[in-house]
Amino acid sequence: MTDDRTPQGEQAGSHPQKQSDASFTQCDGRTFKRLIQAGLVWLQRHQAAINALNVYPVPDGDTGTNMLLTMQAAYAEIKDSPGDNVGAMAQKVAKGALMGARGNSGVILSQIFRGLARSLDNEETFNAVQFAAALREAATTAYKGVIKPVEGTILTVARESAEAAVTAAASSGDLRYILDRVTSEARHSVTRTPSLLPVLAEAGVVDAGGQGLFIILEGMLRYMRGESVTVDSALATAVDLRQLHPESEEGYGYDVQFIIHGENLDIEQIRRTIASMGDSALVVGDSEAVKVHVHAPQPGTPIAYGATLGSLSRVIIENMQEQYQEYIVGQTRRPAINTETLSKISTIAVASGQGLTKVFESLGASAVVPGGQTMNPSTEDILKAVEGVPGNDVIILPNNKNIVLTAEQAKSLSQKDVQVVPTITIPQGISALLALNYQADLATNARVMAEAAQGIQTAEITTAVRSVQINHMSVQQGEIIGMVNGELKVKGSSPSEAALAALGQMDTELYEIITLYYGQAITADEAEQMAAEITEQYPGQGIEVVDGGQLHYFYIISVE
Amino acid sequence: MKDSGLGRIEISPHAIMDLASQVVLECYGVVNVASKDLASDIIEHLPFENRQRGVDVHIEDDRIIIDLYVVIEYGTRIITVARNIQSAVKYSLEKALGMPVAAVNVHVQDLRISAD
Repeated sequence: MTDDRTPQGEQAGSHPQKQSDASFTQCDGRTFKRLIQAGLVWLQRHQAAINALNVYPVPDGDTGTNMLLTMQAAYAEIKDSPGDNVGAMAQKVAKGALMGARGNSGVILSQIFRGLARSLDNEETFNAVQFAAALREAATTAYKGVIKPVEGTILTVARESAEAAVTAAASSGDLRYILDRVTSEARHSVTRTPSLLPVLAEAGVVDAGGQGLFIILEGMLRYMRGESVTVDSALATAVDLRQLHPESEEGYGYDVQFIIHGENLDIEQIRRTIASMGDSALVVGDSEAVKVHVHAPQPGTPIAYGATLGSLSRVIIENMQEQYQEYIVGQTRRPAINTETLSKISTIAVASGQGLTKVFESLGASAVVPGGQTMNPSTEDILKAVEGVPGNDVIILPNNKNIVLTAEQAKSLSQKDVQVVPTITIPQGISALLALNYQADLATNARVMAEAAQGIQTAEITTAVRSVQINHMSVQQGEIIGMVNGELKVKGSSPSEAALAALGQMDTELYEIITLYYGQAITADEAEQMAAEITEQYPGQGIEVVDGGQLHYFYIISVE
Repeated sequence: MKDSGLGRIEISPHAIMDLASQVVLECYGVVNVASKDLASDIIEHLPFENRQRGVDVHIEDDRIIIDLYVVIEYGTRIITVARNIQSAVKYSLEKALGMPVAAVNVHVQDLRISAD
């Protein structure tokens, strides 16, 4: 049944049943060992191809390498074991995989072996039904290791191939047939991973961990079939472990803390050993419990050492990768996104002055219709803009009380789906435009934008164009007046005096940001002077100064 | 926290906590999140709504520091699982938030021993 000749370096052992076509119904420990070896060898051969499937640049950077190292650790445990008890062999494999688990897929692989070993415990050999049950236990165990299993990964492949084993074992006792069905299902399962995990589909790859599991199974199947499972280089020249430690770059380091519980702990000995592993070593305690703290380049070193002395608790590993962060800070800048290409919704704002036009355009407005107080655009002006913008969904921001109605008329005349968000001031329009959500539909956006517009208060400082008696105020033509949210509220002898008076009417101290849009009649120096005066009065609020370039209004001020 | 040029974007620590707990729950080897309150050292099996309890977020100079309190499956290689958690949480948060994650501190509060 089995054949335990030493492998000749390039060949993953000789094959059972190669000479005869008799069915292969029992697998003992020595054959199991050869299967593990074949899986390892086949994985080594495909390591680079599996690495190339990586989607995430950071987590589990080299899936193929990580799985290979895990398999090597597993095989190392049984390499010199003659044992013919398959249960004991599986336990050793599981232990080796556990100790050597690298990366996410390595940890999952170790759990697969753990489940396998648990199911095969104490068995001398296994048959088809036992093998299928063991594979199912392997998948179940693997699933237990995570709260929210992600489908489309090695977990899915393990589960689906185990199900194929159960089905196959119901009709045949031939282990070769079972493994053939398992491997075939694993292959199909891997090809389905992109449909389960969108990130794979986006990257145009299959799951690397799942592919790794398939390759291990395929290696085993090839061995069972007597096909060659060759090693690229002798197994002895295992990959140099050191180069596979991306975490151990200079300047990173880990802050490692844990408590060792044991008996007759030699605190001096522990202190000396821990101190040799890193900096800032702190070792305190007594013969039964020792607290260890150390900064080490490899957190595993002190922990593995501690674990040899007793049981560990309160294990804390802190990553001190300050330098790397400096690098990341410089990397997070993203180029500006052209909103017009993103959104199906076009926006039209009414504004006067080059500065305000620019502001709206820079915020993604599809078109800006010139207009405002005393120069209301016609319905036709707005309609033209509506027909001129791309797309069927259009939002109009009139930004003036007198233009809301005009915008509504344009809406009724257009064939397009038009919504008017009745903004009555420029700052409201800006606020509304900022609230546009490229993913939401037209009606939702109209509602959200209107809400956003309500959250902002506006003061407009201008000159009275005629004498009027309103709100208990008598205003002469030519006087400087301040409107608060469209209502005449204050007057002043200068634009800045009126502005400060208007701010005094707006509970400004309750808001966070004051934005000052200065008009054509105001110079940049005057605006800065104005901003300084506002800051003096409202030191708790941030202030932004924008060259609005608008006609008629000295200042448009928003608080939000 | 950020000014993108179009106005401010604020991400509350609570939102970051939610995000981090989602990521950590998908990390292989994590079988629960733990209360960080060591006084009540009995690790409860928290209902999902409360899972942020196992996550602490601090923000210093626009850099995020995360503390995770987790229960790990016994029989996994704890150091590897912890390292995987660190890299997964760091990667996912930086990708989602565009803000650097300065540290992901993993506190392994307990191990869950599944019945054999």
